[in-house]
Amino acid sequence: MEGLLLLENALQFVGAFVAFSIALVSYKGVKQTRSSSLLRLSAAFMFLGTGFLLEGFYGFGSLALLPGFEVSLTTLLIAGLFLETAGYFFLAFSHMLDVVLDKRMGVMLALFPLMAINQSSLAVVLTSLSFYFILYGVVETLFAYSKNRNPNTLLIASGLAVLAGGWWMSLAFTDGLLLNIIQLLLKEVGLVTLFIPVLKFSLSKKGGWNGPV
Amino acid sequence: MAQYRTQTKIIADILATARDLNTAGDGVGITTLLRRGNVSYSRMTKLITDLVGAGLLVELNIEKNSKYKISDKGLSFLRAYGQFEDFAQSFGLRL
Repeated sequence: MEGLLLLENALQFVGAFVAFSIALVSYKGVKQTRSSSLLRLSAAFMFLGTGFLLEGFYGFGSLALLPGFEVSLTTLLIAGLFLETAGYFFLAFSHMLDVVLDKRMGVMLALFPLMAINQSSLAVVLTSLSFYFILYGVVETLFAYSKNRNPNTLLIASGLAVLAGGWWMSLAFTDGLLLNIIQLLLKEVGLVTLFIPVLKFSLSKKGGWNGPV
Repeated sequence: MAQYRTQTKIIADILATARDLNTAGDGVGITTLLRRGNVSYSRMTKLITDLVGAGLLVELNIEKNSKYKISDKGLSFLRAYGQFEDFAQSFGLRL
């Protein structure tokens, strides 16, 4: 069981690496194009990366692997979850802006209150909100795919869907070693999928991509 | 349904027009930019002033007519725009 907790914490640092990589590429884009969409994407993944990092420290602190973290463990966990929720919110917010600017109704907006008010503890509320924001991101990314037919968009939508599956499992099932492993695997696959555009971007830049706008 | 264009997208469209339609090498007139850019005259003149000020477009005065051609900085912007548009599109977003 302790090995699984170690793996889970290591995964938080993998998540932080992926999130900071996406934030860095987005920030470069903000500097070069002054795009507000990329600014929101950069902020989203900056929050997510910091959230993952804090939760990773929380995990190692709770396993007593890092000395001096015992006192502030709860603060770390809540701060990490809060930042993660903020990150997923910014991701969803970018899509919400698209919905408003295109004057169409977002499919998931109507479900928002149902997800948010049905929980009691702060950690569970934040986890529920994160799950909702990811789910909203999935729906809107799939909608974007229906318009642009870009295979990368479908890939990201699948990655977010797998990630949402992992979050749903962590909300629905709190016990069971096998379920914990499946939930971890889902989150891992989801995060790695999100990293693919960063890889593609780096490779295309090295190759001197010079395509039309 | 017509899709909303962001300011960045409009700028990219203007620069792409100045790049693609400058076949004779003597620049592109404001009428062509207006037709392809699909924005109002007042907005276009303000955008052009800003783009010339930022060094993305070069203003040429030929026979008392102002024409515009894309600068090297403008070409770099278009290249960056293409790359980051693809990146943002992966996340289902528009630049």
